[in-house]
Amino acid sequence: MFKKNNKMLVAGAVMTAVMTAPALADNAGRVLQSGQEYMVVTNYPNNLHVIDVATDEVYKSCDLPDQFGPGTAIVSPDKSRAYVLSNRYTTLYGIELDSCDMSFRAVLAQAPGELARSMYSFAVSADGKELYTVANPSQKNLDHYVVGDPRLQVYSTDAGLDAKPIRMFPAPRQSYLMQAADDGSLYLAADNIYRIDVQTGEREVAIGVRDWERKGYGQPDVLYLWPKQQVSRDFTILYAAPKFTDETEDMDTAEFMFGFYNINLETGEMETQDFAPVTEVYFTGARSPKDPSAMYAVLNRLTKYDIATQKLLASQELDHTYYVLAFNHAGDKLYLAGTFNDIGIHDPETLNKIGSITLPGGDMSTTTPQIFIR
Amino acid sequence: MKHLKAINNKARTLEQAVAQDRVEEVLAMNATVGCTSTVDPGWETDVFGGVTGLCQPMEADLYGCADPCWWPAQVPDLMSTHPDWNKGAADSSMDWRKLDTVFPTDK
Repeated sequence: MFKKNNKMLVAGAVMTAVMTAPALADNAGRVLQSGQEYMVVTNYPNNLHVIDVATDEVYKSCDLPDQFGPGTAIVSPDKSRAYVLSNRYTTLYGIELDSCDMSFRAVLAQAPGELARSMYSFAVSADGKELYTVANPSQKNLDHYVVGDPRLQVYSTDAGLDAKPIRMFPAPRQSYLMQAADDGSLYLAADNIYRIDVQTGEREVAIGVRDWERKGYGQPDVLYLWPKQQVSRDFTILYAAPKFTDETEDMDTAEFMFGFYNINLETGEMETQDFAPVTEVYFTGARSPKDPSAMYAVLNRLTKYDIATQKLLASQELDHTYYVLAFNHAGDKLYLAGTFNDIGIHDPETLNKIGSITLPGGDMSTTTPQIFIR
Repeated sequence: MKHLKAINNKARTLEQAVAQDRVEEVLAMNATVGCTSTVDPGWETDVFGGVTGLCQPMEADLYGCADPCWWPAQVPDLMSTHPDWNKGAADSSMDWRKLDTVFPTDK
């Protein structure tokens, strides 16, 4: 249904003559191999790519329907399906990774004339049976908007191409990333990070952000758009916060620190941990699955910190900005993605660049690469 | 909030709402049309007042800001207002010449 057609192949071949990006190949029917490690990543104009992590080559490409954006993808627990938020943040799609067929589609709006968008806010349950998203609805009238209350919408993942919510609950405003834990609870980052009972909609503050009361610190600032499914099952979000030098809490003498909130989705363990002084800007960070004592972060440079001492261990200049980083399962390759259409591959020990992958198509923008073993 | 100072009318209104315990009634712009209400620096200057923290080159950050309506004053909003702005320009580093200035009448 969404395989590349011949017309696009011809257009792709013509483009290759004048551009460096590789042409799209008609490989939509390639089945993923059991035990093999892959990366799913999306890019403009409408591509979902599967990359073979062993060879760092594009294994197959699927077409995404409708308009692209943000293209954020997560992988189902059985690694058979990618869920993609796209069509300008209005629709969730389920794409079968073996066939490229669309098997799930949920338009977030629930009433005629309603616009509803999800700000990167979706997750699949640990058993793969339910999909969660926060929709921000508004009614667009001729001369004014009417803002609706955000909704947590719960879908059955076998609901097909016209999926409707099976449960809906009030949700906090400013809802962004969410991930589902093994115990069935849903962690949602909004003004605070909440733990939500997906059966009743009841929520409690798991980690305070707006309401954090951390002695010696001022209000944290959080910007995080990348729902990284980590090998370690960690749900990690960076923060920056002023750390005061004394009890006068003087902002002029405070040192700004980068840190991370972390929820382990397997154990439920929660952490709030500084890892570096704010000397440059980072968009994402993660601990290596090989060595969790080190924290890696990226934007204009790739850096590595010792968490315990908060010392810079290594840094690497980059060809251009990358938004997001991801480790392979062995922790011996570090991928940098987002922004343009090239993925940088770095050695986690030295941070030296050891390769790159040029994707067919255009910008990845704010998409998130997800690495998994089939 | 004790370390923040309101510098415009919207922020002062928010302060009043906090004082009246009505903050839940304050609607961020992203609740309406996806657009950010942030006043962080980001396109003209970085958080340190310089430019080295800005994304490099600027095209690297173009669609990352246009897609979520992150800087609606600086970059056309692909989410709601100008969804076709980058049609035919999938690769911002190669296709940037195809990206035009937009005006309210161009909707």
